[in-house]
Amino acid sequence: MASRTPVLTASAITKSFGPSVIVGDFSMTVAPGEAVALTGRNGAGKSTILRMLVGAIRPDEGRVEFEGLRMNETNAEIRKGMASVIDDLDFFPDLSVVEHLDLLARAHGVPDPEAIVDEILAEVQLVPQSGQLPGTLSSGQRRRLALATAFVRPRRLLVLDEPEQRLDVEGVAWLAARLRAERARGLAIVFASHDPYLVKQVATRIVAVAPPGADEGADATADDPAQGAS
Amino acid sequence: MARARRKRAQRHEPKEISVEQMIEIPADPYAEYAEKAWAFAHLPDAEPEVVDEKALHALIKTWRHGRATRSFSEVFQDAYVALFSVAMIGAMVVNVIIGSQTRAAACESAACLNGRLLVPWGMFFAISALSLSVARLFGPVLASAAEGFWLMEAPIGRGRILRGRLWAIIGGAFAVSAVLAAAVAAIAGEPPAVIVAWSAASGLASSGLVAWAASEQSRDRTSGLRVAQAVLAALAAIVLGAMVAVAAGWLHIEPPAWLGLVPWVFAAVGAVATVGFGLTAHRRLEYFARLRLTSGGSLVSGLQGAMFGLDLGLARDILVDREAVRRGHVRPTPGRWTGLGALVWRDVQRLLRFPRPLLGLAGAILAPYASDAIGLALLTPLLAGVALMFALIPTLGQLRVLSRSTGLARTLPFTTGQVRSACFVVPALLAAVWASATLPAFSGVTGGIARPGPEAAGVAVACALAGLLGAIRWQTARPVNFAVPMMATGAGAVPPTLVFNLIRGFDVAALVTAPILLNASPMWSLLIAFVVLLILRVGVNMEEMQEQAKEQQRLADAQRAAR
Repeated sequence: MASRTPVLTASAITKSFGPSVIVGDFSMTVAPGEAVALTGRNGAGKSTILRMLVGAIRPDEGRVEFEGLRMNETNAEIRKGMASVIDDLDFFPDLSVVEHLDLLARAHGVPDPEAIVDEILAEVQLVPQSGQLPGTLSSGQRRRLALATAFVRPRRLLVLDEPEQRLDVEGVAWLAARLRAERARGLAIVFASHDPYLVKQVATRIVAVAPPGADEGADATADDPAQGAS
Repeated sequence: MARARRKRAQRHEPKEISVEQMIEIPADPYAEYAEKAWAFAHLPDAEPEVVDEKALHALIKTWRHGRATRSFSEVFQDAYVALFSVAMIGAMVVNVIIGSQTRAAACESAACLNGRLLVPWGMFFAISALSLSVARLFGPVLASAAEGFWLMEAPIGRGRILRGRLWAIIGGAFAVSAVLAAAVAAIAGEPPAVIVAWSAASGLASSGLVAWAASEQSRDRTSGLRVAQAVLAALAAIVLGAMVAVAAGWLHIEPPAWLGLVPWVFAAVGAVATVGFGLTAHRRLEYFARLRLTSGGSLVSGLQGAMFGLDLGLARDILVDREAVRRGHVRPTPGRWTGLGALVWRDVQRLLRFPRPLLGLAGAILAPYASDAIGLALLTPLLAGVALMFALIPTLGQLRVLSRSTGLARTLPFTTGQVRSACFVVPALLAAVWASATLPAFSGVTGGIARPGPEAAGVAVACALAGLLGAIRWQTARPVNFAVPMMATGAGAVPPTLVFNLIRGFDVAALVTAPILLNASPMWSLLIAFVVLLILRVGVNMEEMQEQAKEQQRLADAQRAAR
């Protein structure tokens, strides 16, 4: 049975841009095998929360920890265990699709990297595009490549920001099945989504995010079926 | 107190709800709109009127002018700082030219004088190749994406809209090339008559080539232009090599008297080409494909955005991305090694796949020889370092991508220092090759400063490090952050880092070579280079450091409050 020691802990994190408070006192704990979905309207602060969780931006107050380590995205130990696909992923303009995945697998010391890269490439249906340079991919193909980067490397936590974006219906179905399988193998997942199907298929817990002060009623903590798990 | 109340009001706890309670997947999300009565607007049935393109363009101009919020005199008053800066920089450039001419006057030997005769030739071919390259890159005739969408789609003649800009581009090519050629010839210490002749030749040749490119653009052809560009670049390299060989005494030339007329012949041919191809392109403006016009316009928009932040790195990224999109596909090659070695090996593969940077390196090897050959021996270390910097910038593409955004770096299981060190390996090896190949130049073989072996080796290594570290600094430049507190200037609020963006790379090259230029031991340069390397390896992010300082302050405050 998977350990219940938290993989990710966010304690009272806040973030403001100028006078606008985007996230106020947000706390969350994610254990192995848990999939937490962040839902809420555009501008609720979901992406900002995810960016703070992966260390892309620092919270003004509060603390984020990955397996007890204070979140710092330049920490090699954290990079080894945390895979993320948020909106800041970049690509090498001169490396092909398959070369990106090959590089990542090798950098993480994956044994027999070519085999796993081939499998993942087939899974995300990018085999015909394996020699293409990223600038020529469609937005959906770029999204598939971004998702593939999370699956060719070891991971204990997966953070995804609206992973269903740009995917076709079959792509969303594949993603839901894949994330469910990952969760079953003990991976901790945090993702923001607007897709009810994906949330329902993957999440073990849903956190409805609202902008600070937007709706005081909705901000009250509801009965939490998964409280015991965290 | 009020702030505390506000903060309390902004606090929120996320609402956690069960999956089953939350999710109701609608069977048909569009069902509620099925019966909605939509209101549609339709065009009248009358025939469309004939549109006058000039009137349309004038209308757009009127709108633009109507929205101007400041008069010309107000803008002029605000721009005095910029104008003052231009005057200051202009004075400095003139000073450099006069200083260089004085130093170049020290070139008295037959070999040095003959070598210097070749400078305008090399410059002529280089400027011509550059003009053709830029013309191909942008079109040369271009239209903005907005014009492409709003005007080119309409049933109007494109010729009347594009005519003015065609001749403006041809004229611009003439002016820029003529000024550039005059500046280079003046720096090389040429007499006024030679400067005028080569300035006219370069200007008219460039305008002729740009006109030819425009004519080819109308037929959507590029093969002839590519061949011409390669030939001109090869000729520039051959002349540079010949100049070094002549200055070193390996090659002897006796220039015939009629050689002085050649630039005027070039100028005449250029003038004929400008008029001939310009008129051809003018006649065919109606046939320019919209995609070919807006492609250059989009590139200009991107570059304008980059230059707004004086971000040369971003400008280069745009060009690199464009080239990658044009290429589109490569034959995938498997990686090798694991861990950091995988990153190093990918850099090796990049170089094998795109070997063009090696041509740049070959050119950079010639730079110190050529600088000595034309009598600029005192400046050779700095010029050589800067030449190497430009040659190495394309070899640091991996570092650039991993530095410009954190998303990709976060996927790699290494610290920033480890990633950067791996990215330095291949360029450092190339710099080592450069240092070995330029050792004779720093020993004074082409008439420069004669140095004993160990000192020459020290200078070569220091210059190699100056170029390498300059290139690393150039490629790891962060974009200007407009969110930080601004500096008040006469030209408005300016982010503090904006002004330093233009000299990134050059500053490091100048800093490392400064002791050599001041006639001190190259060991000082090596020491400075070591310190700069340590800083560049981990990267200095002022904003991050400020964040960390704030964090420390918060912790200290919390501890004080607890006591």
